[in-house]
Amino acid sequence: MIETIEHLGLGLSVAFTLQNVFFCFLGCLIGTLVGVLPGVGPVATISILLPVTLSLDPTGALIMLAGIYYGAQYGGSTTAILVNIPGEATAVVTAIDGHEMAKKGQAGLALGLAAIGSFIAGTFATIVIAALATPMTKLGLLFGPAEYFSLMIMGLVLAVVLAHGSLVKALAMIVAGVLLSCVGADMETGRERMTFGLPMLIDGIEFVVLAMGIFGFGEIFKNLADPEKRDVMRGKIGRLLPTFGELRQNLGAILRGTGLGSILGVLPGNGAILAPFASYALEKRISDRPQDFGKGVPQAVAGPESANNAGAQTSFIPLLTLGLPPNAVMALMVGAMMIQGIVPGPQVIENSPDLFWGLVASMWIGNLMLVVINLPLIGVWVKLLKVPYRLLFPAIVAFCCIGLFSISNDPAQVMMAGVLGLLGFALYKLQFEAAPLALGFVLGRLLEEKLRQALIISDGSMTTFLTSPLSLGLLLVGAVALIIAVLPSIRRSRDEIFVED
Amino acid sequence: MSHEVPEEVITVDVPGHPPSSPVPPSDPWLGRERLAGLSLVVFGLLALWAGSDLPFMTEGGVGSGLLPRALAIIITLLGVVQIVVTWKEVPESTGTWPLRDMLPVLIGVFLFAFTIRGYDFGAFSVPVLGMSVATPLAIIFAGAAAKDVRFGELLIFAAVLTVICIGLFRFALGLSLPVAPWLIGY
Repeated sequence: MIETIEHLGLGLSVAFTLQNVFFCFLGCLIGTLVGVLPGVGPVATISILLPVTLSLDPTGALIMLAGIYYGAQYGGSTTAILVNIPGEATAVVTAIDGHEMAKKGQAGLALGLAAIGSFIAGTFATIVIAALATPMTKLGLLFGPAEYFSLMIMGLVLAVVLAHGSLVKALAMIVAGVLLSCVGADMETGRERMTFGLPMLIDGIEFVVLAMGIFGFGEIFKNLADPEKRDVMRGKIGRLLPTFGELRQNLGAILRGTGLGSILGVLPGNGAILAPFASYALEKRISDRPQDFGKGVPQAVAGPESANNAGAQTSFIPLLTLGLPPNAVMALMVGAMMIQGIVPGPQVIENSPDLFWGLVASMWIGNLMLVVINLPLIGVWVKLLKVPYRLLFPAIVAFCCIGLFSISNDPAQVMMAGVLGLLGFALYKLQFEAAPLALGFVLGRLLEEKLRQALIISDGSMTTFLTSPLSLGLLLVGAVALIIAVLPSIRRSRDEIFVED
Repeated sequence: MSHEVPEEVITVDVPGHPPSSPVPPSDPWLGRERLAGLSLVVFGLLALWAGSDLPFMTEGGVGSGLLPRALAIIITLLGVVQIVVTWKEVPESTGTWPLRDMLPVLIGVFLFAFTIRGYDFGAFSVPVLGMSVATPLAIIFAGAAAKDVRFGELLIFAAVLTVICIGLFRFALGLSLPVAPWLIGY
């Protein structure tokens, strides 16, 4: 305990230098600015801004990149709430109820709860990192390929549970997402898989392309298809700061989200990305009005946003302690550290305690800054809403095109996203949910990698997933969640049959 | 410091998506739920066919075809389940599919792709026209898809937004996007 406080004290003394506070502020501001742009998530933002940090010292560079990461994530949530275009996978959940709240004129409340939830989550996650960095290293080491695989299966099952509507359809979307992630060169043999001979598919489908296609272009197509039903809504952004009553109602969701996010983010898998989905599923399951989820429930914004931020932060633990990037953003951070001459791994804490604890402490400062700079700036983001849709959507098309092209300077990515937009429209028409598809896609590649590794280790025996207690436990949790989700569904369909008789 | 934003009333132009009208489809197979199941079956079989050349197992362990094929089979089966489960439901129409209204957006997106870095069609090739041409093309064509389009306004908007985009992405963010190589050399 005293050790933890000493560590945080060291970190704060590093992070509170004028220079590092400035880099933190700059990172948060730039990250938010770019993150607000529809379809530009943290991954794109960080890869774009990576060269900017070259001239900085390692601590300043990492602090600024971390700031960009939170900023972009927060900006993405703002866009998700105001415009319903999630810049990345984790904002998908925020878009569901956050945008419904905006439609009801509660955008301010949604944004305020997101900011406050994120700050509480960030504060807690900073303490978690400081206290558990060392012990968590040992827990993470217990995870082999089989446990990774089972963990991801559990996460995907939870995603099925959270999807409203048909379980069969949600399950199909998850499987379709994993299947789409298989497209392209095989990771081991380099053999082309399901590319139909198209050169643009050889490298697989970029997640950003899939997301911008289905969520960006698909949404535009959807809106163009029902123009006569478009209603001009009069709404207020309203108060940003929730009342004490509202805060009390949502505090449970914030704390549960913070806990879930902190735990999931620590696991050396893509745990952080599951956090908002898991939080949404949890809030929906324990809510006394689950039927209202998806129609603008504050808890469905506060919980996932807190989980998102906590998970984003604790996902630094596997990177900083094991040198293992748990997601695409952390993979970019590895690149940034290597450029600065730091090899990520267990030796970082010992060799550069200033950098390690300075970065951890800057996360808390960054979260504070996000609340301070974002809430007053919300008026600027709101201006986006005043633009009529007939001008807003061509602007979104332009930003998406530029963003898609800049991923790899490849026009084929732009075209692919356009075609995927039609897929998104078809999914909407057939009432398939796109969120499980996106999650399946994000986890797909890792899932296959771990499946193969586990089966190589076990000489092809599938029982390896059941003989390891950790793996078995994770699978059981998934199975229980699925059973719980299936039961009311069975009851409901029985009731319907009953009515028909 | 205050977090209060003035209580301004803003007009938000949010498209509404009421549930599709309960109009029965012309054919029960065109009902939403059955069509969804059918699409899954078609998608699964397509993936099965696309991955049919991949080895299921290799000497070293799992072949590159194991997961895709297993997933394709699962999707096909889920499609069948979807059709069976919803068989007795009253079919609901999926509503209109106004693909013609969406076409301008797609054209805009593809024109952007063809002009931003140039494109070789074989018979003829498009030179590198850069952001100065690709961006307004995308904006104007996409904007033409709106039912309430005002072309004068759209043209001015496209010009202003193009300047902003070039300033933001090329100069502020330093992305190596071509701006107007035919005019200013980069």
